Amino acid sequence: MSSSDNGTNPTLRLQGVGKWFGSLHVLDDIDIDVKTQEILTVLGPSGCGKTTLLRIVNGLILCERGEVSFKGELVDGPRPEMAMVFQNFGLFPWKRLDQNIGYALKIQGKEKGEIDRLVSHYTELVGLGGFEANYPAQLSGGMQQRAGLARALAAQPDVLLMDEPFGALDALTRETLQEELLRINEAEPKAMIFITHSIDEALLLGDRVLVMTPRPGRIRFQFETGFGRGRDLEELRGGKRFQALRHYLWEALRNPDEEPEPIPELIAE
Amino acid sequence: MTTDAPTAARVSTAEKASWERIKEPAVYVRLISLVVVIGGWELMGLTGNIDPVTFSYPSAISVAFWDLIASGQMTAAAYESSQILVAGLLIAIPLGIVLGILMGRFRTFEYAVDTYVFALYATPVVALAFPIAMVLGVDFVGKTTIVVFFAIMPIIVNVYHGVRNVDLSLLEVTRSFCSTESQRWRDLIFPSVVPYLVAGLGLACGRALVGMVVAEFLMSISGLGALSQDYIGDLELDKGLAPVVLLMAVGIALTKVVNICETKFSSWRVRQES
Ligand SMILES: Nc1ncnc2c1ncn2[C@@H]1O[C@H](COP(=O)(O)OP(=O)(O)OP(=O)(O)O)[C@@H](O)[C@H]1O
Ligand SMILES: [Mg+2]
Repeated sequence: MSSSDNGTNPTLRLQGVGKWFGSLHVLDDIDIDVKTQEILTVLGPSGCGKTTLLRIVNGLILCERGEVSFKGELVDGPRPEMAMVFQNFGLFPWKRLDQNIGYALKIQGKEKGEIDRLVSHYTELVGLGGFEANYPAQLSGGMQQRAGLARALAAQPDVLLMDEPFGALDALTRETLQEELLRINEAEPKAMIFITHSIDEALLLGDRVLVMTPRPGRIRFQFETGFGRGRDLEELRGGKRFQALRHYLWEALRNPDEEPEPIPELIAE
Repeated sequence: MTTDAPTAARVSTAEKASWERIKEPAVYVRLISLVVVIGGWELMGLTGNIDPVTFSYPSAISVAFWDLIASGQMTAAAYESSQILVAGLLIAIPLGIVLGILMGRFRTFEYAVDTYVFALYATPVVALAFPIAMVLGVDFVGKTTIVVFFAIMPIIVNVYHGVRNVDLSLLEVTRSFCSTESQRWRDLIFPSVVPYLVAGLGLACGRALVGMVVAEFLMSISGLGALSQDYIGDLELDKGLAPVVLLMAVGIALTKVVNICETKFSSWRVRQES
């Protein structure tokens, strides 16, 4: 893990979180710590409560059991230190791309020059330069998704909550943004929760990977990937450890009822 | 990065689409229909099949129209009528917007007033003319009130639905980024209401025009309503129908203006339009 000590204190702490929608039990007894500079990737079948979990962490909905704390403070509502990348993008149809990306900054009352600077920086970063004047309906799904990511990044939060943020992207864009996200995490330390359906993505980005069970969503298991900072994604992919973990996750997700053979690589290194 | 289709390509498709509309059968069918109906009517008149005491025909109405304009009667009557129309709309529009927003946003307010609003919405407003005349008199105030009652309902109801149909996932986005309530109105609620409001305004203008004529017929007789009735009473049907033609033209013009507003306010709805 990171050598700096501020990378080890939990920024986010979930303790015994349980959630019901009426009689539907969605989340049960979720305990998670996310450290200051840690990327936690979450895998789990559709409908197991991943989005619900992020909404609880963001303070958008409350949990019936347990609690969420941010830097030791109870989370009882949204706070500006956190930003969410929404699964359905959540762009305002009547705002141009640049206005959408600058939305959080405008809410925070940043001055115009500052907003313009940050907006153009993050617009370029997600590869949307030149489309500033377009409305969301004029952009492809993948472009809208990148706009949602840029909006959250521009807010420069301490906690970045990402709900399948690369789901609508082509392989090439996806890879570029994965590298970009790792770079950002190093440059401006953030705690990140990253939900994905891609095993590769979970391993490439995650300092820790967490797998959930369905109905109600529980933590099935989690482990540190141990790939370290400044990892090279190309190199990582070819590595033995990556392949072993990939196989392990694959088996685990394929057989929801039985745990796969524990692999020595998980404990080694 | 990926190269997505440039927007220029989409714009040119849209342009082509609007250009091709002229070739659509709808335009031809309408034109032919107009020629047949108006021409047939005119022909009936010219061949003496229409008794000028009970009805008239296009060329006679046109001549009467210009006569009334030349004599200044039409302009004076239109000016008189437009006063209650404009006054009525100037009251109905802001009042309707405020009531619609309050009803859509505040449950308590909604429950307090929805019975009356929906009862009024279901009532033919003409039936209110006499009670209004009793309370407010038959002159400017009474007539303007009738116009207000006619025009305000579609505004209230549309704005109410606009506020109600605010996208819940966008509401969550505003909450997630810690928007204040006033910022939420600016970024989300007002923009969501605009398309509903514009549609409501279109209906309101048409109904205001009806209200104006109803008021001029049923209360102290004035304006275009009076002009029309006077001549019909004198059995000069061509002159009696000329103000009706003017009302028709105003109605069409108002609808067009609203349509233009509609497209102007929704430049962001590119996909929905195509
Ligand atoms: N507001 C709500 N009211 C009632 N039930 C809800 C609500 N939101 C989610 N649910 C239910 O809770 C469960 C978990 O939903 P959630 O959206 O968190 O799943 P998810 O893991 O994000 O799924 P996916 O991978 O498909 O995005 C589902 O069964 C869903 O139907
Ligand atoms: Mg989800």
